Amino acid sequence: MVEMSEISEISETQGIKIIRKIIHNAFVIAKGDKELLATKSRYSTHYGERKYGELREWIPYRSKFAAVLLKGYSIEIPPDCKMLYLGAASGTTVSHVADIVDQGIIYAVEYSAKPFSKFLELATERENIIPLLEDASKPWRYSGIVEEVDFIYQDISQKEQIGIFKLNSEYFLKKGGEGLIMVKARSIDSTTEPQEIYESVLDEIASSFEIKAYGSLEPYHRDHIFIHTVK
Amino acid sequence: MGVEKIYRVWFGEVYAENGKFKARRSDNLIESFKECLKNKEKIPFSLIKAGTEIFGSEEMYYKNLRKVAISTAYEKVEENLKRDDRYLIMLLKAVDEIDQSINLFEEKIRDIEEIKITKTTVEFREAVKNLKKLRKSIQDEINDLAAKIMPNVTEILGGVLSARLLEKAGSLKRLSSLPASTIQILGAEKSLFKAVSRIKKGKPAKTPKHGLIFQHPFIRTLPKSRRGKMARFMAAKLAIAARIDYYSGELNESLLEAIKRKYEELR
Repeated sequence: MVEMSEISEISETQGIKIIRKIIHNAFVIAKGDKELLATKSRYSTHYGERKYGELREWIPYRSKFAAVLLKGYSIEIPPDCKMLYLGAASGTTVSHVADIVDQGIIYAVEYSAKPFSKFLELATERENIIPLLEDASKPWRYSGIVEEVDFIYQDISQKEQIGIFKLNSEYFLKKGGEGLIMVKARSIDSTTEPQEIYESVLDEIASSFEIKAYGSLEPYHRDHIFIHTVK
Repeated sequence: MGVEKIYRVWFGEVYAENGKFKARRSDNLIESFKECLKNKEKIPFSLIKAGTEIFGSEEMYYKNLRKVAISTAYEKVEENLKRDDRYLIMLLKAVDEIDQSINLFEEKIRDIEEIKITKTTVEFREAVKNLKKLRKSIQDEINDLAAKIMPNVTEILGGVLSARLLEKAGSLKRLSSLPASTIQILGAEKSLFKAVSRIKKGKPAKTPKHGLIFQHPFIRTLPKSRRGKMARFMAAKLAIAARIDYYSGELNESLLEAIKRKYEELR
């Protein structure tokens, strides 16, 4: 739902026009004849994106979540959402999600130290991010840290990613909680046709979750699909 | 009844007493944070509820948690980045030595068994078997670790070969600063210098086309005349991969894709 008051609060500078609101603090904006996605943020840029006034451009080629939204699929995420984010990497997507859940909390898990050192800069700046340098396939390790969450976002391009998602949902996702999974066909099996992989992945998820929607991320990311689930 | 079970949580302990959960705050939050990473099971109560009791409010709970998580993460990142490449190189060397030992021992045990089989020879067999098991688990760790510290190079070469490249270069920092032409012939130094000294003397000589990376199936399986081209191309991509690994650490799939395309073209 578009709340006009919220939109008019944002200064329309630099030839930017807000077209519509997608989620809390996330908007489709027009710059010249181009349509862009952006989140409202009081923080500065993180990964070289542009900033128009209070709006930070959200680049779909860099962030799969942005690609999902720009493909026209909208997901309800309340501003006070508690989220477990698996595969934070250097924080490109997390920075925007942190804009969206500005009254919530994000538990961000990443296993690799290199991108994490960049991510830590973001986590230090934002008050709603709790960084965990942990292996997402071992959720018991952070069971004494992460509380029950409303939402699990997963983007970890690993062979076992569906198993890892299920395990984390068992540990942390509350009943009725939602999940958004980015599936990369190539990392599950590089020899099988993506279409076949998607079918088996969807079957595997359907055995324990309700699937709300799924779809490809073309043309932004090749051989990827997103899956939106409910526990 | 009394205390039934104690659960470790980041801010201390929660114990079940007479069917109720009670929380106790630790004196050192950083220590208890690290301690609870040893947990092996799901927590059956609401963390945030127990924590709010301890810290007074949700706001304070998150504030403390964030502070502890960030400082632990900084410490861990530093620790991780500092030692991982050296550790990987040492593991690789260990595997090579274990390989030699296994060969040696197996030969010996075969000779002994031909003469007589006793309790001792059975034990000997067992020891060799265990050594093989150890070898397998070190190899697995090499693969995991290589994918963690140099995801892009490992995506192209696989764990063991990447580790060998790293060993030759000495460190990830050094590997990331090598030109592609050097990466191409890493491991073929002997034949390179032989060729160079011949050229200096004015004799005909051929410089090597490839070093370690010859072991990659994409080069090995090509006809001889096209291996040089492929090695050059792969080395160029590896140089980029090593730099991404050292400076950013995020996986970029386009490198392997380009190599695959080139291979199809040359095949």
